[in-house]
Amino acid sequence: MSRLSFQEKMLWAQLVGIVVVVFYGHYLVHAGPGHHYFHALLLILLFVFGSARLLARRRSGNVVEDERDHSIALIGARWSNVLLWLGLVVILVLYWDHGSMNSAHFVIGILFHLLVLAGSVRIIRELVAYRMSA
Amino acid sequence: MTQQELAELISVTRQTVIAIEGDKYSPSLEVAFRIAHVFGVPLEQVFQYTPPRGRGR
Repeated sequence: MSRLSFQEKMLWAQLVGIVVVVFYGHYLVHAGPGHHYFHALLLILLFVFGSARLLARRRSGNVVEDERDHSIALIGARWSNVLLWLGLVVILVLYWDHGSMNSAHFVIGILFHLLVLAGSVRIIRELVAYRMSA
Repeated sequence: MTQQELAELISVTRQTVIAIEGDKYSPSLEVAFRIAHVFGVPLEQVFQYTPPRGRGR
């Protein structure tokens, strides 16, 4: 078994981060009132983290633009996009079925879990692709 | 020449060179030409195509 590449280590770190965030989030959900603001806060943090990571990658000139990394990232993004579209359809069906989404908290909760799921699937699919072509 | 040196010359990571050597990844035409250029040999001397069985006409 070959050693883990830098990209694989980053993916494992992201996966561990997601697991920690989800467990911590669910702990807070059952801890008391006002927890839905935590979901919104996590969504904002995820967005800021993603944007910062994108900017850092674009600014660092010494990073090799590897075609294999790029193709694997595309595979992961494709899976993630499919899941996000499916989730969007489910949300719309829920909306049409119930007539309203009950509350903004409910929508934030669904979006949060959808984003976490899509992110996890992307990471796992990329890790599998890296192992298959290692 | 080490894998790292070759990787730097053709602008890919060492893991990609390892994957190409192990026949786990098919490089793009551009990278294939770069590899041939580095070794100063024609492309067909570095890469050979074997058609998959049962698919030929």
